[in-house]
Amino acid sequence: MMTYIVFILSVIFVVSFVGFSSKPSPIYGGLVLVVSGGVGCGIIMNFGGSFLGLMVFLIYLGGMLVVFGYTTAMATEQYPEVWVSNTTVMGVFLLGLLMEVMLVLYVLKSEEVGVVFKFSGVGDWAIYDTGDSGVFSEEIMGVAALYSYGAWVVIVTGWSLLVGVLVILEVTRGD
Amino acid sequence: MNPLIFTTILMTVLLGTMIVMMSSHWLMIWIGFEMNLLAIIPILMKKYNPRTMEASTKYFLTQATASMLLMMAIIINLMHSGQWTITKVFNPTASIIMTSALAMKLGLTPFHFWVPEVTQGISLTSGLILLTWQKLAPMSILYQISPSINLNILLTMAVLSILVGGWGGLNQTQLRKIMAYSSIAHMGWMTAVLVYSPTLTMLNMLIYIMMTLTMFMLFIQSSSTTTLSLSHTWNKTPLTTTLILITLLSMGGLPPLSGFMPKWMIIQELTKNSSIILPTLMAIMALLNLYFYMRLTYSTSLTMFPSTNNMKMKWQFETKQITLLPPLIVMSSLLLPLTPMLSILD
Repeated sequence: MMTYIVFILSVIFVVSFVGFSSKPSPIYGGLVLVVSGGVGCGIIMNFGGSFLGLMVFLIYLGGMLVVFGYTTAMATEQYPEVWVSNTTVMGVFLLGLLMEVMLVLYVLKSEEVGVVFKFSGVGDWAIYDTGDSGVFSEEIMGVAALYSYGAWVVIVTGWSLLVGVLVILEVTRGD
Repeated sequence: MNPLIFTTILMTVLLGTMIVMMSSHWLMIWIGFEMNLLAIIPILMKKYNPRTMEASTKYFLTQATASMLLMMAIIINLMHSGQWTITKVFNPTASIIMTSALAMKLGLTPFHFWVPEVTQGISLTSGLILLTWQKLAPMSILYQISPSINLNILLTMAVLSILVGGWGGLNQTQLRKIMAYSSIAHMGWMTAVLVYSPTLTMLNMLIYIMMTLTMFMLFIQSSSTTTLSLSHTWNKTPLTTTLILITLLSMGGLPPLSGFMPKWMIIQELTKNSSIILPTLMAIMALLNLYFYMRLTYSTSLTMFPSTNNMKMKWQFETKQITLLPPLIVMSSLLLPLTPMLSILD
């Protein structure tokens, strides 16, 4: 099982995405977002990116989702929708689950899968090398490159975040 | 809106399009598209009534879906080629998905349904920005990936766009919806010639932006959003009726006005590449466009509709001064003799 841990985590990832795409109340969407964030962190860490996994937990789950949870709790309704309360939501959730199960069976049973890109069975999902090039870990080198060669990316993303805040304030201001 | 915030947000729209047009890394292009989308939402929602909010929401949803499709195409391209540069899309699947995503951003058929509804729900100035500036970024990406676009899909979308743009605009009296359907048809003309000669796409884009700017500014000056309201401009500024006539006929593609130039060049390029039926069909379907432009000119400049006496005086606030209007009018009607200069666009 440990060899195929990335595959299993990816399946759980997709299932939690199906869980919030079937549109229960946002509070329950936030719940599966927590699960998917944790599982995504696990996927990143299996590729050797321990720093980025920590970032996911701290910033994404511990910062953004906490704020999201608080604002949703302030704006929630009296009887929020769960997956089993509404037939539509349950139907969409079950449909997504069914499609994921069929895809997993297809991957597990056949030798070579060629949906959009070819990979030969589950074996392609196992990780052989964690991307260490010599002395330094690849993902720490990537983070360092972001702040040196990728300065323009940092400026652009920082500006986008600032303008995002301005836009949200402007849109929700009303008259 | 606070003027400082408005300036910041408008500059971010410009910055987003600039990032899209000058980046060589696919991720930066996607970031540019998202920045553009995010910053134009409050511009679309300048007035806070339910119509503008609904239009902004529709715009945001369709453009976000297109950005997601673009991201998927970028990742498929990355998986098959291992690099992020724009020059060539190496996988046919990625190319098709990318073309569909950019068609959704432009408003090509079958993804055209948001264009009339969004344009109708917003103010005239916001509609101007939506139909001119927002077309630059997706068109620049189509220009850059044009060698690897699947010809069948693009030509189907182009021809259907010209048909839908012509046919859909026939039953409209609201000026913003008419401009939206005209935009769909012009996008169809632009993408039809993209694979054969991208220079002509850029020429058509240039002329289209000039003509659409002119039309919108003429509408803004007379504060008219319906055909009926436009037909009263003879009362306020009689000169603009003539200018509306000339610009609309230029948009319809009649020689000797400058709107004829892109259509002529496109038909010539298509026939040089041995496709005869296609440009014939396109030229015939452009007649539908010409019909509803002529209907506008008929009601505005060629006739005075019978109306009661108290409707004859068109009331508006003080006269708007639009500085850019006279040069735009000249450029959108008299550029045809400059056709040999289109070689500078290469």
